[in-house]
Amino acid sequence: MRIIFELVSEKIGFSRIGRIILSKEERRYVSSPNIIIPIRRSLVNMVDFLEEFEKHPIFLISNEIFLKISFLRAKFKQNGFIYTHYGTFEKYQEILEEYKGLFLQDNIISIIPFNNPTTVMNIEFAKQEIEHHIKMSQELLNSNPKLNFGMTIKLFGHAELINLYFPVIQNNRNVKILNFNDLFEEKRNFRKILQVIFETRKEVDKNLIFMVSGKILPNSYPLWVYLGFDLIDSSYILYLSSENFYDTIEHLLPIYKVQYFPCSCCACKGKLRKLASEQFSKEKIEQLALHNLITAKNQMHKIKQFMKTEDYRNFVEKSSMNDMVLLSMLKVLDHQYYEEIKQETPSTQDTKTIESIGPSSYFRPDFHEYREKVVDSFEPEPWTKLIVLLPCSSKKPYSESKSHKKFHEIMHKFKEFPNFQEFIITSPLGVIPRQLENLHPVNKYDISVTGEWDSEEILIAQEMLAKIIMMYDPEIPIICHLSGEAYHEIINKVMSNLPHKVYFSEVTNGLTSKSSLKSLENLLVKCKDIYNISDSINKQYQESWIRVFIKTLDYQFGKGIGGFLFSEEVKIYPNKDKTRFNIRDVKSKKKLGVFIKKSGQVELSLYGSNIIKDRIKDIHYLVFNGDIINGNTLFRPGVIDFSNDLKPNNLAFIWNQGKEEIIGVARMLVGSPYIKNSHTGPIAKIYEKVKSEP
Amino acid sequence: MIEKVKNLRERTIHKLRGLPSEKLNIPVAYWIKEDRLLDKIGKEFTIILRTKGCSWALGDQGGCTMCGYIQDSCVDSIDSNNIKNQFMHAWNEKIKEIQDDKENYIIKIFNSGSFFDDDEISEDLRKFIYGKILEVPNITEVVVESRTEHLNKEKLTQMRSELKNKYIEIGIGLETVNDYIRLNYINKGMTFNEFLDAVELCKNSEIGIRAYLLFKPPFLSEESAIDDCVSSIKTLITMQINTISINPVNVQRGTLVEYMYQQNRYHVPSYYSLIKSLKKGLKTQESLLTTRIVCDPSGAGSRRGIHSCTKKECNILMKDVLKNFVLSQNVTFLKKLEEGEQCFCKLKYHMQKMFN
Repeated sequence: MRIIFELVSEKIGFSRIGRIILSKEERRYVSSPNIIIPIRRSLVNMVDFLEEFEKHPIFLISNEIFLKISFLRAKFKQNGFIYTHYGTFEKYQEILEEYKGLFLQDNIISIIPFNNPTTVMNIEFAKQEIEHHIKMSQELLNSNPKLNFGMTIKLFGHAELINLYFPVIQNNRNVKILNFNDLFEEKRNFRKILQVIFETRKEVDKNLIFMVSGKILPNSYPLWVYLGFDLIDSSYILYLSSENFYDTIEHLLPIYKVQYFPCSCCACKGKLRKLASEQFSKEKIEQLALHNLITAKNQMHKIKQFMKTEDYRNFVEKSSMNDMVLLSMLKVLDHQYYEEIKQETPSTQDTKTIESIGPSSYFRPDFHEYREKVVDSFEPEPWTKLIVLLPCSSKKPYSESKSHKKFHEIMHKFKEFPNFQEFIITSPLGVIPRQLENLHPVNKYDISVTGEWDSEEILIAQEMLAKIIMMYDPEIPIICHLSGEAYHEIINKVMSNLPHKVYFSEVTNGLTSKSSLKSLENLLVKCKDIYNISDSINKQYQESWIRVFIKTLDYQFGKGIGGFLFSEEVKIYPNKDKTRFNIRDVKSKKKLGVFIKKSGQVELSLYGSNIIKDRIKDIHYLVFNGDIINGNTLFRPGVIDFSNDLKPNNLAFIWNQGKEEIIGVARMLVGSPYIKNSHTGPIAKIYEKVKSEP
Repeated sequence: MIEKVKNLRERTIHKLRGLPSEKLNIPVAYWIKEDRLLDKIGKEFTIILRTKGCSWALGDQGGCTMCGYIQDSCVDSIDSNNIKNQFMHAWNEKIKEIQDDKENYIIKIFNSGSFFDDDEISEDLRKFIYGKILEVPNITEVVVESRTEHLNKEKLTQMRSELKNKYIEIGIGLETVNDYIRLNYINKGMTFNEFLDAVELCKNSEIGIRAYLLFKPPFLSEESAIDDCVSSIKTLITMQINTISINPVNVQRGTLVEYMYQQNRYHVPSYYSLIKSLKKGLKTQESLLTTRIVCDPSGAGSRRGIHSCTKKECNILMKDVLKNFVLSQNVTFLKKLEEGEQCFCKLKYHMQKMFN
């Protein structure tokens, strides 16, 4: 089978949705991520198994018996198969030779096995064995150039040996699947597991299918998918079933302990309850296997569903809570591999809410990146006279909440309002400049609010606030309209090291009570004239939305970009429900871009991009191998150069071959690492381009 | 790996030094039981002699990874007379029973090393043993063991001429036809070509070969053990090797296998795998026309030996199937397991095989 992987979309972390094409002509494919269901004679003889899984897209077969045309074409015509052999390499070669025609024509791909040795004595032994395996695999690949294969990777706990595999993977186009077989053998060595994954991702084609097999429990599937695995072999479930374990995902329980069956699958509703206490029952094991496979399948369905419609990262965190090793892995991932993972995490997500559920959420890549980018890209507006620190609200964006509307009622009484810089203090995003409150993830995060912050939350907010306040002249006064110990602790800790003067409003009966708001108003009166500004504010900037667009553009493309683009007079045209704001240059009447409230981003037009092209030549770029692009999708073969800062869902500028003109503006489907390590596949969705002459 | 094997071996050797003298004059073990002769059921008379020990195990390569038989040696030099006394001790105990028996016998003289290693068994002692065997008409077959490096034309010719018309087999620990497995996982220190040379040598001296196959060497998965065993059986049958003796690994003290077993890194083979290997290796009865297959696993049914499950009845059934096949040399006995109620452990075996 000429198997091809097609990326559909990159999701948070390294997770991705793809398609494994079985037959382009017949439009048959396997969607990924997915689990591979093992076929065994005992299972195939169960009616319930056939009913439950006959439509499952991909199976694993390891018995020669199933390599019969009658089996593959009769019962499972629409499905995909992976064949592997659990015995010697030599026997596998014999089988391959015997059934070569089948592997060439049908919906089946074989994985080169690496079963022996089962263990090693030391690293030298491991190295010798891996080199031997690679040598034999290379010979096999050379003598079967028309067949596609999966390649089994075993490391025996020595992560550094992964480098031995790269040449054979890179030099053989007929290697299509990488099957990591013993990655989870010693799961406490999670740092080594991560090391292997990251080093592999750096070196191999991104259109290879990442598969994981071995001792994998379903509770870890979400994390594996988050780490970029497309296929998960569920064979270990059979082993667990034969050892009488009942999987609930949260726990693996010995079946004899199960009193209340938390599942309504055909096995749990049927015979499994009655057989649970029988010690030596073949049927019990079969029913257990059925239940456990169904549970694994449901887990994968949740993964696929949540990747599409929910905040998948949140699901990964929740699933990891039951296993301390998984939780540790997530922590190390967030801290040690942040630079790599942020590059592949989309800059926006089409989800309803992003929940911060505790310490495991604080350093998730989108939160971490937001905090980092604000500090890097935000610069004080030169007309700022006063800083106002406000609390967050549960409604997002904050300015649409009742509390913030009340704050604004007070602040809008002052004509100096455009000179006020508001910052919202929140956990775990730290400090939100008002202008950036529509950005992802600010516009949709949620957190449990009790008034109590843990020390890590306080530190995050404190460090970020300190960096931002330090950008301002120490003479600029700061008003704090905040209540609660945590907030005060943050402010006091920051201000104890800074020369700025802070004024706390008097809060009684809540921040929005008449007396509290009056106190805020009085402070504004008191402080608004303390600091004198030399420059008069450009009238254009008195419009709040313009201030938003400027800071948003700075956030997206770097300091100063927003100011440069809005240096001439512009006019804003919101749509009816104020979800899109067209921005036009008054002089030329041309569209500079559109602000999309849902994502909080400005989508520059081709005209707008070319205005700032000299300032953005080295960022967010793709260089096309021509002057006119056909179609609305840019594919990898058309890209001859690219910047290293591209991320999924980011805007990108498509330059012509000589890099003189921007010929298209697009939204990225993938990040720079994908482009670097792939030869095919869609790269960006173009929303505006130079049209070809008729 | 060799360092590890040597290290374990040295610990064992250290414990064996200074054996009391009374132990030197008594064989390690001896017994009589039912066995398969070339063309019928008969009996075996086995004597295990305590000698200096296998030269390979005592050498600088550490010996084979699964073999703990150095425990049956005295390691220090032992006088030839002591060994003679051992032989005679067993001989005197059993000779009357043998002579009074109507059955024919196969005598197996094992020294957990090489019969033809002069450092273990001298030429004179060998001659003495031949002489004793010749005295007994109903001992029709003779088996001794040796590494290939100790075989030469002179020694074999002498044996052939001394034992006149008795059928002789030299047991050689081939273990597998796969050089890589034998050299790297078993640490045998012998290539397949060396085995072929030995076969040629024996053929020229009109002596048969008994090839030992090791079932599930360390570092091999359960399914690989089946593949390896099947491949070896088929190859040896094609070569028309006289006897194939299949020996499933049992976990012996002081070995690398034991070290791995204690760390849960080695799982003993399953009876199901062994039976499957025999069925696949001997597709038809014709395979057994020129080759005899024997298998008498050590430690069978125990945790350290080949077994199927914890149920006693199941292990007994397996043992019986194997025994009946070996005694009858009839492949239909191997299919007995498919008849009737299957033990639940068979399903468990199929579900766990790929992880063992």
